[in-house]
Amino acid sequence: MARCGGDVSRHRKADLETVESLCQGLLDDVMLDDDKCRAMFGYLQEWPDLASMCHSASLLGEPPLAPEASNGSGSSGGGGGFRKRRPDSCLEAKGKSNSVCKRPRGKQQPCDPDQMAAVVGKGKTERARAGAKKKAELALPKDSPATSESTVTAGQKTDYIHVRARRGQATDSHSLAERVRRERISERMRYLQELVPGCNKVTGKAGMLDEIINYVQSLQKQVEFLSMKIAASNPVVNFNIVEDLFSRQLSQAACNPAALAAMAPPIGQAEPSCLQMSPLQQMQTPAGCPGFGLEMIVNNNLFSLAHGGSMSAAAAASVPAGASVESCLNVHGAAGWDIGSQSLFSGFDAPFQSVQSDSLLDNLKMEM
Amino acid sequence: MSSRRSSRGSISEEEINELISKLQSLLPNARRRSSQASTTKLLKETCNYIKSLHREVDDLSDRLSDLISTMDHNSPGAEIIRSILRS
Repeated sequence: MARCGGDVSRHRKADLETVESLCQGLLDDVMLDDDKCRAMFGYLQEWPDLASMCHSASLLGEPPLAPEASNGSGSSGGGGGFRKRRPDSCLEAKGKSNSVCKRPRGKQQPCDPDQMAAVVGKGKTERARAGAKKKAELALPKDSPATSESTVTAGQKTDYIHVRARRGQATDSHSLAERVRRERISERMRYLQELVPGCNKVTGKAGMLDEIINYVQSLQKQVEFLSMKIAASNPVVNFNIVEDLFSRQLSQAACNPAALAAMAPPIGQAEPSCLQMSPLQQMQTPAGCPGFGLEMIVNNNLFSLAHGGSMSAAAAASVPAGASVESCLNVHGAAGWDIGSQSLFSGFDAPFQSVQSDSLLDNLKMEM
Repeated sequence: MSSRRSSRGSISEEEINELISKLQSLLPNARRRSSQASTTKLLKETCNYIKSLHREVDDLSDRLSDLISTMDHNSPGAEIIRSILRS
């Protein structure tokens, strides 16, 4: 979407030819110092037509400058050097002929002498001047009927994003592209800052990234927790994956009373293993693990809150409600299970370890 | 988290890249992408992901609250759900 630097200079030359002959006086009307350019080109992306007109206006500053000003700084892009010297030339030109603004151009609004006079004597990089000039500049295209040259340039310009080199910054094409990229990144960071609560207190990229990461992780956990709760609460309370797996192991049939009796001791065992799982889970990087670890923690909560209560195998009952749970488990992909299951289940009983991870996953899917 | 800062007190490029890759791993598309996503796209993906997570949390909370209305008020499950919704 964005091409600047070399393309800009190329198009600038083409534009020079088109507009140069027509809007000679525009140079005097519009004092293009760097701040003004920056202000103008901040709108480039949003309003291409306006941008094209501004750009065409700014181009007028170049032809007189190019031959006159010595390119001592050797700006490769050609644009930056002009920017730096433009204030001087502009001031110079303005000082010379204030009556230029009255030059009949017919199409353009006559420049405001008051504005001109007000800003002539000022320094180079003043915001007030930039604002005033911007207003004058903006007023011009609006009032003038669509000039042919500006429409021509508009047609050529809308494809590119033009970036003005700021004062004191490098002007070669790479730097310009880099600057555009950096501005985009910072714009997205600002947007993220709004999304993530508590990000306002932190400044700096790393701190904000840190906050964002924590927030995303906590949101993920929250989503999984809620979906687990829903899956658990829909048919039956205290849905427990480990419970179900144990029940599968111990009694292949969904025989609830038997499963209950058989599960009572394993539940007690499950808790320490659950507690073991969290540190295990922490050490593993793939995102597949947090889901499982969280379920373990959830199950712990369930145990503590409704200990020895209505624990059921939940084999048959949880099938309809499991869609969300399955989705949240599948989000992390089967790979997570394959990688993590072996080590995750190392804390469990021996019969458990013998279960292949694939069949485990199948069991879970069937459970849900 | 202080271990992430370099000894100078400033933040090096490498740390930022590490954070970025970690963030990328959190996103749901992490595995398919071969870490060629530019930072801009990554940040945009993060924005979208956070928004979708928000929506999902809201949706799930709504479902939970609907669910609790159908359950027996004094059951332990209802109590659990109420405690969750309160938090």
